[in-house]
Amino acid sequence: MAMETSLESPAPVRQIANAIAGWVDRLGAVWVEGQVAQVNRRPGMSTVFMTLRDAVADISVTVTCSRTLFDSLNPPVVEGASIVVNAKPSYYANRGTISLYARDIRMVGLGELLARLERRRQLLAAEGLFAPELKRPLPFLPGTVGLVTAPNSAAERDVLENARRRWPAVTFEVAYAAMQGQRSASEVIEAVERLDRNPAVDVIVVARGGGSVEDLLPFSDEALIRAVHAVRTPVVSAIGHEPDQPLLDLVADVRASTPTDAAKLVVPDVAEEQRSVTHARDRVRGAVRGWLAREQAGLDALRSRPALADPRTLLDARLAEIDQLRDRARRTVGHSLDRAADDIGHQRARARALSPLATLQRGYAVLQDADGHVLTSIDGVEAEQLISVRVADGRIHATTTSTTPTTRETDG
Amino acid sequence: MAEKKPAKTETPSYEAAREELIDVVRRLEAGGTTLEESLALWERGEALATICQDWLDGARQRLDAAIEADEG
Repeated sequence: MAMETSLESPAPVRQIANAIAGWVDRLGAVWVEGQVAQVNRRPGMSTVFMTLRDAVADISVTVTCSRTLFDSLNPPVVEGASIVVNAKPSYYANRGTISLYARDIRMVGLGELLARLERRRQLLAAEGLFAPELKRPLPFLPGTVGLVTAPNSAAERDVLENARRRWPAVTFEVAYAAMQGQRSASEVIEAVERLDRNPAVDVIVVARGGGSVEDLLPFSDEALIRAVHAVRTPVVSAIGHEPDQPLLDLVADVRASTPTDAAKLVVPDVAEEQRSVTHARDRVRGAVRGWLAREQAGLDALRSRPALADPRTLLDARLAEIDQLRDRARRTVGHSLDRAADDIGHQRARARALSPLATLQRGYAVLQDADGHVLTSIDGVEAEQLISVRVADGRIHATTTSTTPTTRETDG
Repeated sequence: MAEKKPAKTETPSYEAAREELIDVVRRLEAGGTTLEESLALWERGEALATICQDWLDGARQRLDAAIEADEG
């Protein structure tokens, strides 16, 4: 029933839309097989949207289903899973979109795909390829960072930009490889091994943005896992987003959740490092300066002690002692001299008292004959005899003329 | 009474010099040493103090040099 429209009497959009809706309905319910490329399940929305892609051709269609149905599926529908849906096409007039409304969803292939992956993981794990002790630490400051990624991909930009922001002087050796499809695994292997052979490369990052389980399959490829296990250089696996966990994550030395995270892991934040180095050095200097100040103070204290600073104190004590002794010595000597002097004085006084000198001084004189005998009487003295007269201050020589006896003292 | 010191030729370490200096000052202040000994002790004390000061000056110079080199 073709519609009659013409330039002159065009049909309104709603009429066309309804017509399309009618034709679309005529397809009826069908079983459709395809690969889930995208799952859009938002809390609070009762409908879940999925993109179902043809396994071979690059054709996809939107599939919607009720959340209860979606949640009831076990194993759950994940991106990349192959499923078969019983759906009826519906035309959404407002926006003119067609989608298949699924009333029944059956897993196909994904289960066994995931199962295959799981078996491979267990096999390789049993071989010890994922052993924690094999994990090599990343170099703190790598000379050159090897990067395996798709040419001008978001992953490449994330890694390069973030690394450079943290450490401008970082050098990269990028080895491009297909990050999706059949050749991906072999190209990544070749790139990783080439970077490993390059001695300048200290760490290798394998970076890829998010993708479905199918997209990330190559990163669980056994040959790639064994190759990464064999290389000497530490490998960082940065595949997909946080939840993705290809086998590469298990064999790599370090697993980064995203390419940006990988950049943070392989390159230190130099500004931060610089600050902590400067901080550490300042603290060291402070410590040494503190120690020096303390020791200097201690030494100054010691040196200021009188015993060292002013040795004279030692000598002064002794000098004082010596002075004291000398004084005492002098005093005792002085005393004894005085006593001696007194003694002598007495003796002299007595001697003087006994000595005739004083009598002479009182006007008396002593006569002595020629041979020195003291004449005490006139007997035996003749005239013209030479005599000497001792007076206080000397001697007078004389000759006698005569002698006359004296009566009793009254002539005195 | 002053016992014979180990060979004084090679410079003692800073800590050794400092310990001996403290001992010398203590004995000087305790007294009871002959004049001869206290003079000897005092001279030893001066020598030790100089040694310690040299060590400290050396350390300070090295620290300042490092800092200057840093700011230069």
